[in-house]
Amino acid sequence: MDMVAGRVWADERRPTRHVDGALLGVTVVLVVAGLFLLYSATSETLRADGLDPFSRVQRQAVTAVLGMVLMLLVASFDYRFLKVYAGFIYAGLLTALVLVRIPGLGSTDATGTAQRWFEIAGFQVTPSEFMKLGLIVMLATLLSELRVSIPSGQDLVRLIGVAVVPIALVFLQPDLGTAITLVAITVGMLVVAGTRPLHLGVLAVTSVVLILLAFQVGAIKEYQVDRLTTLFDPENSSESARYNLEQSLIAVGSGGLFGRGFLGGSQTSLDYVPEQHTDFIFTVVGEEFGFLGAIFVLGLYALLLWRAIRIAFLSKDPFGTYVAAGIASMFAIQMFVNVGMVVGIMPITGIPLPFLSYGGSSMLATFLAVGVLETVHMRRFK
Amino acid sequence: MEKVSSRLRLLALLVAMMFVALSTRLWFLQVLATERFQEFAQDQSIRFVPIDALRGRILDADGDVIVGNRMSLQVRVNRAEMGDDTEAVLQHLSEVLDIKVERLVAILRTNRYFQRQPVPVAEFVSEQTAFFIREHPELFPPDIVQVEPTSVRDYPYVRLAAHSLGYVGLIEEDQYRKLEGDGYGLNASIGRAGLEVVYERSLRGEEGTERFVVNADGEVIRPLGETPPTDGHDIVLAMDLEIQQIVEEELVDGLERSRSIFDDDTRRNLAANGGAVVVMNPNTGGIVAMASWPDYDPRWYAQGLTQEQRRYLFRSPTKPSSNRATQFTLSPGSAFKPFVALSALRRGVASLSRSYYCPAEYYAPGDESGAVFHNAVPFSQGYLSISSALKVSCDTIFYEWGWQFYNRWTSDQFGAEPFQKDLRGFGFSRQTRVDLPSESQGVLYGAADAADNPDLFFAGQWQPGGDILISIGSSYVTATPLQLATAYSAIANGGKLCRPHLADRIVSPDGEVVKDIRGHCRSLGYPKRWIQSIRAALTRVTSEEGGTAYYAFAGFPHSQIAVAGKTGTAARPEGDFQDTSWFAAMVPANNPQYVVIVMAEQGGFGSQTAAPIVRRIIERIYGIDSTSRPIVTGGTD
Repeated sequence: MDMVAGRVWADERRPTRHVDGALLGVTVVLVVAGLFLLYSATSETLRADGLDPFSRVQRQAVTAVLGMVLMLLVASFDYRFLKVYAGFIYAGLLTALVLVRIPGLGSTDATGTAQRWFEIAGFQVTPSEFMKLGLIVMLATLLSELRVSIPSGQDLVRLIGVAVVPIALVFLQPDLGTAITLVAITVGMLVVAGTRPLHLGVLAVTSVVLILLAFQVGAIKEYQVDRLTTLFDPENSSESARYNLEQSLIAVGSGGLFGRGFLGGSQTSLDYVPEQHTDFIFTVVGEEFGFLGAIFVLGLYALLLWRAIRIAFLSKDPFGTYVAAGIASMFAIQMFVNVGMVVGIMPITGIPLPFLSYGGSSMLATFLAVGVLETVHMRRFK
Repeated sequence: MEKVSSRLRLLALLVAMMFVALSTRLWFLQVLATERFQEFAQDQSIRFVPIDALRGRILDADGDVIVGNRMSLQVRVNRAEMGDDTEAVLQHLSEVLDIKVERLVAILRTNRYFQRQPVPVAEFVSEQTAFFIREHPELFPPDIVQVEPTSVRDYPYVRLAAHSLGYVGLIEEDQYRKLEGDGYGLNASIGRAGLEVVYERSLRGEEGTERFVVNADGEVIRPLGETPPTDGHDIVLAMDLEIQQIVEEELVDGLERSRSIFDDDTRRNLAANGGAVVVMNPNTGGIVAMASWPDYDPRWYAQGLTQEQRRYLFRSPTKPSSNRATQFTLSPGSAFKPFVALSALRRGVASLSRSYYCPAEYYAPGDESGAVFHNAVPFSQGYLSISSALKVSCDTIFYEWGWQFYNRWTSDQFGAEPFQKDLRGFGFSRQTRVDLPSESQGVLYGAADAADNPDLFFAGQWQPGGDILISIGSSYVTATPLQLATAYSAIANGGKLCRPHLADRIVSPDGEVVKDIRGHCRSLGYPKRWIQSIRAALTRVTSEEGGTAYYAFAGFPHSQIAVAGKTGTAARPEGDFQDTSWFAAMVPANNPQYVVIVMAEQGGFGSQTAAPIVRRIIERIYGIDSTSRPIVTGGTD
């Protein structure tokens, strides 16, 4: 008997017998691998500064354990509760996004350019990370309640309206990376919901016009433009942006086929790659484990995404399908933009690599997402 | 739901394309282009710091250090980093180093070095000054002003043998481009003149390197090991320090004395503005002493030349930077006659047993142009043997031999130009291949040269006058003092031509002889008897009344040490110059230990300037207390 839903299941359909083991397995492997990569990326610098070389790893491990607990907790609930509370979650997170902008409440980063998290008990809580899930749940709720199978123009305006508000708030923080992720989630879910190509086209044109407008009025900060254009125009971009890209390419490229061995990468151990423990964690994979290691990690993500899309397939309930599709879109875009940035085929935007990048909120949000996937999988029979 | 699943397939397809794109790119970076990136990674994470090798020393034959090394605190300025700070930094440097700002600007304006090459502006800065500069980075930004302990050349005898030794300087831009691969860095020192250039490879040694792993901030993480430097080899010279000192002093004194002599020809005092001395061991070709005056202080180069020094070295008409012993070519005049006599003997033009008439004037037989060739003295000197002709330096007898050579050559009795061939055999118009850079070879013209360059010769061909003038060492022949020393050494050693050399051997830091430079001699094929009789004849030049250097050697103890010598007085064709004064000596005459050549520019007669200098040098070498000063009369050739 499912305690929470208060429903009685046939024995063979008991949720606990339908845990997606592969999904759980790939999650654990990725998180553990991430701890090793993090150790490689941070230990030398911490030791040089006279600090405990394990301090970052420990912190990340604690977050991961907390994340797993949260994941299991979420998995044990029927996901349809989310549909009920979608509005509250969405509104709550929107409020958080507004509050984080208020000086004194939200905290700025060291350079003072962005204001995106709350400082709570020594942990940084970044609402935008959770907003990704909030938006998925909200859009899935709206989409599953449509009367027709394909969203009409009117529906679209409503859906877009729901998406644009958090996107705009995140964008203004400014957090371009998360804004891009939110856009990708929205687009992915709209595509799966069967939005007409014509509507998608209109949407695309409108977005382009809005983005150009944003450039025009200066809403996009100079450093963001810089980082974006480094890829296409390395000669004219700023020194630091170019340096970031160069060092990243050197790290990955010098790994070769087999890599230089765990803790054996000079780029990694000698601190040549900036932001290596966060956005550029994949350079450690590239340098120390080579092409084979990189393909192995990409394989883990492929497995993860396959399981997510499979769950969307298997769910008999449109809400479950949409939620799973949204989560798949989120993981896919984050993985692609992050690794693409590291290997120089995508512009530099601050998008964390799920499971591997150092950062508490990202880690927790990722585990929550996996938890949601699990509960959908476990309760796919209605 | 069918439709949903097809749209999910679309999503899956998009995701698959993402993986294809990333994998392809990774394949390119990590498999195809990995070598390049590995190089980049290594280049930026491993730093090489050169460890200078100690440059080899230059020692005299007895092992006295003539050129050594000492540590100097050197102040260097990196022009590339100056930017807006230029004025302030120069002002502060000027105050602390006590050098005028204009002088600093002049030093830094040099275009000899790369822009990014730090230029040395001061040597031997005191410890206190170095400390002050290092302690005040706000006045002297460390990326602009550096104080580094540097090993620099030390010259215990200051100007001694400056022209032979040469000097060492910071590598110049074009040299750096050529030598970059041979381990020369931007701050490398390199031999730039004299022996320092010729033996650069031996002296330099091999730079060592220390390797460090550095992090992104340039901090040294750990050492990776080092290759120790190999110090350079020492060069041991044939030079005798004492004789070198004597020679330099006597050259300066002798020229000084001559400047008070009134020259009847030009109606003014002798200019005696420059000269050279070569003292050679005739049996080995070893150069015992070599001097050129005016000279310079080699330390100037280490500290960067001042405007004044630069003007003095390179723009004064006396050319102090040139080594007159190897780079100035002048007609040797009568000092050339012994070689002409030997050629005449070899070719049957003259004989030791015959006597020849020495008229006041000579006319070439069959010459209808009316050219008159005068004797050195305006009267006939009667019938003379070869020996006596050399003693009194009769010109007209030699003219006749010169004409004979011309005449017999036209009838092709000996094949092409035996005269020139014999004289070239003594090393004239050939480089001696001494171990010094930029040696001049002089000229010795003949019919072949006239045929090659008809424009340069009268009537477009070789005339009898050519061979006639060569026979008295005039016009068509020029030589360096070193060439003359080498040729006289052949007369001194019984007929062998030896390659002259300043260095005797190269010795490694642990005392092992790496290379022996001595002993490149070959026989010229003249009978010993001829050579001996020429030397005997030249002994009469200094010791018998009527000899051209008799008065210059008046009071010299000939019975104790016999000196064979020959005067030379040569006009200079170009410009308003007084005659070049030469004297060549072999001592002791019966078994010469030394050949001494003195050349005095605008020194008048050979007996006026050069012969007295040679006499004083010989007296001092052999410790002869000469109470009677050389008697200088009107002078004879």
